[in-house]
Amino acid sequence: MTLQPSASPLAAGLPETPATLPVDGPAPPSTARSPTVLALRRGLHHGGFLIGAGILGIILLCALAAPLIAPHDPYAQDVSRRLIPPIWQQKGTWDHVLGTDKLGRDYLSRLIYGSQISLLIGIAAAAISGVIGTTLGLCAGYFGGKVDAVVSYVVTTRLAMPVVLVALAMASLVGGSLKVVVLVLGFLLWDRFAVVTRAATRQIRDQDFIAAARATGFSPARILFQEVLPNILNALIVVATLEMAHAILLEAALSFLGLGVQPPLPSWGLMIAEGKPYMFFQPWVITIPGVALLVLVLAINLLGDGIRDVTAPEGRR
Amino acid sequence: MARHSSAACAALTLLMLATSVPALAGKANDTLVYASDTEPENVSPYHNSAREGVILARNVWDTLIYRDPKTGTYQPMLATAWKWVDPVTLELTLREGVSFHNGDAFGADDVAFTFNYVLTPEARTVTKQNVDWMKSTEVVDARTVRIHLKTAFPAALEYLAGPTPIFPAAYFKTVGLDGFAKAPVGTGPYRITAVENGRGVKMERFAKYWPGSPIGSPKIGKLEFRVIPDADSRMAELVTGGIDWIWRVPSDQADQLKAAPNVTVLSAETMRVGFLQFDTLGRATANSPLKDVRVRQAISYAIDRKAMVDNLVRGGSRVMNAACFIDQFGCTDEGVPRFAYDPAKAKALLKEAGYPDGFEIDLGAYRERDYAEAVIGYLRAVGIKVRLNYLRYAALRDLIRGGKVSIAFQTWGSFSVLDVSAFTGVYFRGGDEDLTKDPETIAALQAGDGATDPAVRKVKYAEALKRIAGQAYALPMFSYSTNYAFTSDLAFTAQPDELPRFYAAQWK
Repeated sequence: MTLQPSASPLAAGLPETPATLPVDGPAPPSTARSPTVLALRRGLHHGGFLIGAGILGIILLCALAAPLIAPHDPYAQDVSRRLIPPIWQQKGTWDHVLGTDKLGRDYLSRLIYGSQISLLIGIAAAAISGVIGTTLGLCAGYFGGKVDAVVSYVVTTRLAMPVVLVALAMASLVGGSLKVVVLVLGFLLWDRFAVVTRAATRQIRDQDFIAAARATGFSPARILFQEVLPNILNALIVVATLEMAHAILLEAALSFLGLGVQPPLPSWGLMIAEGKPYMFFQPWVITIPGVALLVLVLAINLLGDGIRDVTAPEGRR
Repeated sequence: MARHSSAACAALTLLMLATSVPALAGKANDTLVYASDTEPENVSPYHNSAREGVILARNVWDTLIYRDPKTGTYQPMLATAWKWVDPVTLELTLREGVSFHNGDAFGADDVAFTFNYVLTPEARTVTKQNVDWMKSTEVVDARTVRIHLKTAFPAALEYLAGPTPIFPAAYFKTVGLDGFAKAPVGTGPYRITAVENGRGVKMERFAKYWPGSPIGSPKIGKLEFRVIPDADSRMAELVTGGIDWIWRVPSDQADQLKAAPNVTVLSAETMRVGFLQFDTLGRATANSPLKDVRVRQAISYAIDRKAMVDNLVRGGSRVMNAACFIDQFGCTDEGVPRFAYDPAKAKALLKEAGYPDGFEIDLGAYRERDYAEAVIGYLRAVGIKVRLNYLRYAALRDLIRGGKVSIAFQTWGSFSVLDVSAFTGVYFRGGDEDLTKDPETIAALQAGDGATDPAVRKVKYAEALKRIAGQAYALPMFSYSTNYAFTSDLAFTAQPDELPRFYAAQWK
């Protein structure tokens, strides 16, 4: 059993010095033709990448600076000022640019604070599932054999579980909350990471620089995290963006069903759920968070596509 | 406003296009289809506590006595006369010539069987509080029965005029409760033709309904109750003519529905009262802050009930200060401590109780989520962070009975019984749903329930209500209003007892 060396991959994988090794494929980063610079230059000419990065940047800024830019407290309710329409409708006021919700809370402020929750869930769930999936995929791809068989079995098992159903069951068992949603999604969405990592690792495990590292006497953990991982990182970033968008949508779905984050937290999914009864007569209540969700997911997907295109132009159709 | 209604019309037209179902309801078919959200767990009126079940009961079964909703006087129904032999014995003379839907003649045996049966443990009666004042019922002769009470209970007539319908003894003994639930039989104006689980109940006019009934004979040939859990679907079905009558339309949507063609909207106060019930014994969490009366008072001061009534509930709803509906006999808010909205005072009380930064607590709710969220918002403003546990009624009720809820957002329609005992008896007299079990309150309520002198009853109930409010065992919030929406072909009047009387409705 060759599992033993990778038993503590994280501890062993922390490099003592981040020195680039001579066996590493790409050229040293100091020259002007480094892949990063090349990729950035390509990125500046890639429309989807620019749009995605731009929108995501704005939303990220909103989330980080929410207390500074939100015009009102997102939790302050005033039932005497409820359901004020947004500014572009007849009775809209500049005091509440996007109007107020059913309890008189400022919709713009809730939307801004809601971006924190969407991003937090997206990033945290992608990070957890990334760590799980990448570790499994690296081991399976590098060691092959029995390890690969076991990991493939686990991945197949995971793929056989319908994500939404399992998430719903978990949330109804332990009760919905932000923490539960992040953990449940994090532990459910790692399959794509594992599959992609495994395939990419298999592709490069027999290349010369890996063989050289092995010959030098590097431990398997060091080879995996210092040699293999940096070379498949581009593919992983693309998967991470996909999973982030996936997690954000799932959170919205769970909250819509009442099993995600709990009120009065301003989650966009929850805002859509709360707007449902008003769909016929005050459509903006449901449209505004819906559009926000659409734009965020679109931006993340555009960015992911863009990263793939600019880092691996040969794979572009 | 013009812009508003045109938008509404556009939305409704879209709805009509989206759901063009062949209309099976309405005047043309002489079939009144009404829809509501909850399906009673059992059609037998003693075996469910859902309002939908109460509505079925009033249309399918008769009671011994009838209370005229306009005058409030008791009139003969299945009983033609009654007299108190002594404070614990009520003798009733029964009507002749009444027959059940299956042809059986109605008699003293049916009354005695029904009341004695529902008191047995095997009957597993859900609505115990409505019948447990009776000890036994005795047949004197074919036309006379005597009800023996456990203790004096002056509100007995009110209960006999409401949640105590009469079952056919011979038929029930043959089919048992399960068979009865599938094919129920009564003496009322409508006869149940089909009970479809998950879908609803179909009824038709009982041709041999006894003449001279105080409720008159029904005008509409067929009646159908349909279960549609989703509020938006109910509204869409009404607008497209699939159903004729809905209720509990949220006020926001009711305003908009008024713009729809062929729909009449009616708003009316009901005797349902919403209230917060506190876990004062600390059963749900150890060291519950709610054990401290100052914390409960702080919560009471923190909630702007007036603003909720004016902006959220609307439609004739009123703020309630006593834990009962104000028109019930014995319900009074005179001298009852009041909690006007005062967040500063709430914060001061919390600080005094040792919670300057507030605390975290759970709140269980089952009806209008908006109201619960508004309460959560008000409590958050004084520093109390509330976790909402939103459940179906039966699930929440079981949690409350098990002592697992810290704050319960309850509502109670008192089974339309206009006597305060129907409210306080459930929540403060030491029963399953009494979270306080305060001996002083229980003693006052028992004295009130048992006193024969109305003046004494009033004094005792007032004492109990003062104690409940003073100790803030519960925070009465407001009476509910209900928005009814129905096809313009229908002539329908609403009563505050939350009992739509379809036997009195007619086509225009």
